[in-house]
Amino acid sequence: MPKRRDILAIVLIVLPWTLLITVWHQSAIAPLLAIRKACHHLVKEIFIIPERLAVHRHRLADDGADRGRREAGQSSDSKEYCSSDKDIVEVVRTEYVYTRPPPWSDGLPTIHIITPTYSRPVQKAELTRLANTFLHVANLHWILVEDSQRRTPLVTRMLRETGLNYTHLNVETPRNYKLRADTRDPRIPRGTMQRNLALRWLRETFNSNSSQAGIVYFADDDNTYSLELFEEMRSTRKVSVWPVAFVGGLRYESPKVNAAGKVYGWKTVFDPHRPFAIDMAGFAINLRLILFKPQAYFKLRGVKGGYQESSLLRELVTLNDLEPKASNCTKILVWHTRTEKPVLVNEGKKGFTDLNVEI
Amino acid sequence: MATRMKLKLKTVFVLYFMVSLMGLIYALMQLGQRCDCAEHDMPKDRTISRLRGELHRLQEQMRKAEPTKLPQKLAVKPAQPTIYVITPTYTRFVQKAELTRLAQTFLHVPQLHWILVEDSPHKTPLVSGFLASSGLAYTHLHTPTPRDRKLQEGDPSWLKPRGAEQRNEGLRWLREDRRGQPGADTQLGVVYFADDDNTYSLQLFEEMRGTQRVSVWPVGLVGGMRYERPVVEGGKVVRFHTGWRPSRPFPLDMAGFAVSLKLVIANQDACFDGDAPMGFLESSFLQGLVTMDELEPKAENCTKVLVWHTRTEKPKMKREEALQKQGLGSDTAVERIKAR
Repeated sequence: MPKRRDILAIVLIVLPWTLLITVWHQSAIAPLLAIRKACHHLVKEIFIIPERLAVHRHRLADDGADRGRREAGQSSDSKEYCSSDKDIVEVVRTEYVYTRPPPWSDGLPTIHIITPTYSRPVQKAELTRLANTFLHVANLHWILVEDSQRRTPLVTRMLRETGLNYTHLNVETPRNYKLRADTRDPRIPRGTMQRNLALRWLRETFNSNSSQAGIVYFADDDNTYSLELFEEMRSTRKVSVWPVAFVGGLRYESPKVNAAGKVYGWKTVFDPHRPFAIDMAGFAINLRLILFKPQAYFKLRGVKGGYQESSLLRELVTLNDLEPKASNCTKILVWHTRTEKPVLVNEGKKGFTDLNVEI
Repeated sequence: MATRMKLKLKTVFVLYFMVSLMGLIYALMQLGQRCDCAEHDMPKDRTISRLRGELHRLQEQMRKAEPTKLPQKLAVKPAQPTIYVITPTYTRFVQKAELTRLAQTFLHVPQLHWILVEDSPHKTPLVSGFLASSGLAYTHLHTPTPRDRKLQEGDPSWLKPRGAEQRNEGLRWLREDRRGQPGADTQLGVVYFADDDNTYSLQLFEEMRGTQRVSVWPVGLVGGMRYERPVVEGGKVVRFHTGWRPSRPFPLDMAGFAVSLKLVIANQDACFDGDAPMGFLESSFLQGLVTMDELEPKAENCTKVLVWHTRTEKPKMKREEALQKQGLGSDTAVERIKAR
């Protein structure tokens, strides 16, 4: 009998302590694990795509979770633990220069950027800073189409040196079709044949059954693009639109979005009744749609000023199908900057500078 | 005796049981409030980084006017010299676009510290917000240009030298305030004056990193020519190939040279003369620092163009102005940035 009592006593003594210790231990470890995981995730992202991180931080600030970091499957507590110490984020970022361009990720749709370009003194400069922008974007494929009879060595060399994933095409706009100095009578808007060639290349290279998701964006070589823009367009299902700064003689032009999140009009002064009163830099198209409608191209002749974008979009999509991005078209993520033509008066007739030096 | 002892044991046991039960309940209640746990169980390095963050914030508060975003080094000495890029900027329509693409270039360059100086009596929210989200190490300064030196509406851009006061402010920060920064004990660094509308290739920054005194290279699309460059013979600069006033002491563009930090600090008085005649701004600075034969040619003996003096057109806003007259201007609350 004393034995039983003894045993009972021992059990009753030990039991609460073991319970206490195990439960306490677990509760102490769990949040730690959460920190570790969240921070580790953070660290990983920093190493690979720092700019992405900044974008994420932004997005979360927008969602109202002040200094929070939403990780799929994390408990709400890990938000408080890991996020607010911005210093960790900054330390790691500057100690490591990530690989340029970011490594290919199978989960992301590829962004195919179609850029027409032509030879002029500022060409290399424009393409250089464009490349510096694109080197930040993951899963980017640059389709550069030259307006020339042959692919120029300048562009060939430059593309190779950047390390970007690219396709180099060329087609020459016939001389009598080229945009003349008096823009009152444009024969073909600049870049049309080049963009159409790129569309044709895409249709020949990818077939409709291909599972490779892609987005097509027309980027001129003198505009300015924020990195957030590319992340916004990645989720395009058919055609997505957003505001563009410095077009149409305004600070910005933008689609009109109603409370239901649908585009119902265009906030422009210049001919707002165009079917798609939007600049070339203001929309992106899902590759599937391009492949699904193989006859859709930019119209070459007889296009009124400002109607070029409409000539393609009306064959692809209706106003109702447009997806507004950039926070329901309230943020500016792309600027239609134009570069001044450099004044080369001192070159004189013979050319003062050595033509072998490439600029 | 036995019963007393037994009783004693029993009470002890009961007491013990009650105490441990209370403890368990207390612990279970503690679990309900997660926040408290954080204090007890933060690992050591998180405490350190938190303290470091507080230290950093206190340091910032001490430095009243200029919040400097400087990443804390985890006991890692910078192996490379830091490139300090001084950029004067001023408010105009394309400012944010220019700064955006400039930042996109700088983000590729390791060990770069951007000193952005606004031509303004106070820091603008656009630039402050932009810098905070840029991801770069930066210092945000500001100094207004005196009215008589400022370009007026309609003045051609070459009429008055621009950015002199701002660049001087950047130099002042480097000489005086930089000492408060971690890692400032080293004078290993290069100072480069980068305007916000030029185009820079990434190779340029690697070329300038090894500057011992003043290094020079060609600049494209400047001086009314395809490019301007120093002419190099025998590894030394002998003259300058330029079409405009080649008799200047240093007929270079602002983007065509870099100065080592050591030299900037050693010559406390060297600065840009805002009253200098057209084209002599660079010379007013370099004259006190170096002679022509001391210049270090870069970019393959000054035969490659790695930087272009591009200029951005002023966007035409006639429709905007017309609309504003009617009171229907586009929403000025939409800042031309990725807003927070």
